[in-house]
Amino acid sequence: MNTLTSSDPGVLELLPIAKSSGIETVFDRAKAQQPQCGFGTLGLCCRTCWKGPCRIDPFGEGPQYGVCGADADTIVARQLARMMAGGAAAHSEHGRHIALALLGISKGELPDYQIRDEAKLVAIASRLGISTENRSMLDIVRDVATVSLEDFQCQDHDKTCNWLKATLSEKRVRRLKPLGVVPHNIDATIAQTMARTHVGCDADASNIMLGGIRAALADFDGMALATELSDALFGTPTPAVTAANLGVIKPNAVNVAVTGHNPLLSEVVCDVAKQLNAEAVQAGARDGINIIGICCTGNELMVRHGIPLAANYLSQEMAIMTGALDVMVVDVQCIMPSLPRIAACFHTQVVTTMDENKMTGATHVSFHEKHAAEAAREIIRIAIKAYGHRDPRAIHIPDRKTTAIVGFGAESVLDALAKVDAADPLRPLVDNIRSGNIQGIALFCGCNNTRTQQDESFVRIAKKLAGDNVLLLATGCGAGAFAKHGLMTQQATEQYAGEGLKSVLTAIGTAAGLGGPLPLVLHMGSCVDNSRAVTVATALAKKLDVDLNELPLVASAPEAMSEKAVAIGTWSVALGIPTHLGTVPQAMGSPNVIRLLTQDAKDIFGGYFLVESNPDAAAEKLFAVIREKRSLLGI
Amino acid sequence: MQSAEENVVIYANPERCLSCHSCEVACAVAHADKEDLITAVSDGLQLYPRNHVVMADGVTMPIQCRQCEDAPCTFACPTGACTRADGRVRIVERDCIGCGQCVIMCPFGAIAVHGVAKKCDLCVDWRARNGKAESACAEACPTNAIRFVNLKAYRQAQLEARARELAQSHRHMRIPL
Repeated sequence: MNTLTSSDPGVLELLPIAKSSGIETVFDRAKAQQPQCGFGTLGLCCRTCWKGPCRIDPFGEGPQYGVCGADADTIVARQLARMMAGGAAAHSEHGRHIALALLGISKGELPDYQIRDEAKLVAIASRLGISTENRSMLDIVRDVATVSLEDFQCQDHDKTCNWLKATLSEKRVRRLKPLGVVPHNIDATIAQTMARTHVGCDADASNIMLGGIRAALADFDGMALATELSDALFGTPTPAVTAANLGVIKPNAVNVAVTGHNPLLSEVVCDVAKQLNAEAVQAGARDGINIIGICCTGNELMVRHGIPLAANYLSQEMAIMTGALDVMVVDVQCIMPSLPRIAACFHTQVVTTMDENKMTGATHVSFHEKHAAEAAREIIRIAIKAYGHRDPRAIHIPDRKTTAIVGFGAESVLDALAKVDAADPLRPLVDNIRSGNIQGIALFCGCNNTRTQQDESFVRIAKKLAGDNVLLLATGCGAGAFAKHGLMTQQATEQYAGEGLKSVLTAIGTAAGLGGPLPLVLHMGSCVDNSRAVTVATALAKKLDVDLNELPLVASAPEAMSEKAVAIGTWSVALGIPTHLGTVPQAMGSPNVIRLLTQDAKDIFGGYFLVESNPDAAAEKLFAVIREKRSLLGI
Repeated sequence: MQSAEENVVIYANPERCLSCHSCEVACAVAHADKEDLITAVSDGLQLYPRNHVVMADGVTMPIQCRQCEDAPCTFACPTGACTRADGRVRIVERDCIGCGQCVIMCPFGAIAVHGVAKKCDLCVDWRARNGKAESACAEACPTNAIRFVNLKAYRQAQLEARARELAQSHRHMRIPL
């Protein structure tokens, strides 16, 4: 019976208030859903056609085939592949949106946006093979947008997507190409995955999974382009000191929470908030407008501009529970449909902005890039008006706020390393990995999940691996967890890092002018920014002249939940990275598919899934993988 | 001799049953050595539910042993493995030879032989181990179609409900008797 809640002290403080007020939260809903259906849990319920639903008996006595004849392997594989396509669709819609904005800028159609990081744009252009010499910035912008949009339009099935080619090493692409898993076109790959998993099409589980992996690599392509183009538009992350958890909500400010994923909206909201600050003060909010981030929109703003983060996925409702949130403005992905219901108990206004992402009970302000500032002004004014309707008796802001040093994209990691060795920035990293000061690298990513206690697994695994001298990177809700739990601080490095790791983080941090070590966990951005970690790892692999799977590198998604996480985990495996899942996937009903993902994948890709829901055992297994990789490298 | 304890039975409401088969899965796992679905499946255990969701004439409901007072299976058992004790029908699997006599005799089709005869045991051991009041199938049912019913309490509730109705109608009675 699932009765787990959170390890976040801010959440634990507000849950009793929710209970006594009769407000249902995600934790109540998770409890009410118990016990969850065994067939669905195992992936053995097929709803692909209306002859069903068909269920396969996991114990062998009852039916072993669906009405169409599909067995457990086919059913499980089809569902997984469709989840990968779903994840790829989500990330690449985000990417397409950014690329189209770039195209709009090149045509002079979007006055509310500029290229804020021209150096990054030029770097992107040269990676994509676009000439930059003696050309106007707008010409380069147009070409970058066009080449990026080709990844949605190319009809040559044998070509490799431009961004995959620009991001991965040749070694990796050569390994993937003969398997037929390298996408030529994101949209076509998603469509093909949906088509082949239609009733009566691909029924060979291994072949279906290869199709799913192609979709997962399309997901990688979409997110790589989303991240890089967003940097050019809004700035590449640089280290900044900020704060996290519900205590970032200010009692005397108009509090505007931005949540969802796409920076096209939240960046303009930030710009406009500055312009309208006086209006907020005039309305009685002494501290003006306070923008706070939630979920991955929060992460995007946090790493680029040091905007504080109030919550990650599972505590998004709690921001409203403080009674001091005036507007919650949302765009796409991981937004709980319960938000308007909870907001109805307070003065908070929930504002949806994307015409294809609405919620019953929310106010909709249609957001389009051409009139971005206008929409943002309308939203901020809704917030200022709502501020006047606060009920002082309903305000309860937990005094929970931790410092977080954030903003470590691939560029800022390399910049920090360059402070140690300007001529050869990767050398300090390579030397310390060789010497064992750094045993390996772990990337934490993925969601929160009610199947585990919120944030707890992230924190436990990270502390253990840090003690074992593993360099820790994080994105998405994992990064949010570390920020809230104080692991993105110099104190955490002093307290939890092993001696070797501590000496390296201190040397780099001091050289980079932080007056002490780098934080224990490096915040690389939102979940769409996982490609940043791949960029660092690929540079490292090239430097050592090895492939990604040979590096002492692991990934961990201890609380994975969404289709995006399924896609990310899968491309991580396909890129050669051993990838831990703390959530048991809805696939256990097919021992063959599980074997493919956890064992056979090792031979095919070098990466594989490692499923372990116990965080302590997971930390041990991840470190064992790192040791194994080291010994294979002879270090 | 009349047993002191009256039967507890598992009652299934066909109007609420959505035929999801969750009760079967829960039953099979509750009778496994490792009471965890994922572990049981990853270990490839051969498990059998002791209840079966049956559809007939447009209604669906799970059927399991009724724990009959005058249980035909107990009379048919040649080894004495199947007996009535503690208000239920019990099969001591160690003593069962799997002859299937009980299967033939059971008017509900609620017993199956898998090596030995297996049927609903009201989750007696499972409830004791896990401190549960109701059976695994009742706990697993998402629509509360399955209830653990104490017949004495059920009868008492019926008596009280009818008495209330009768008392109410007496108040409106016009003709003195």
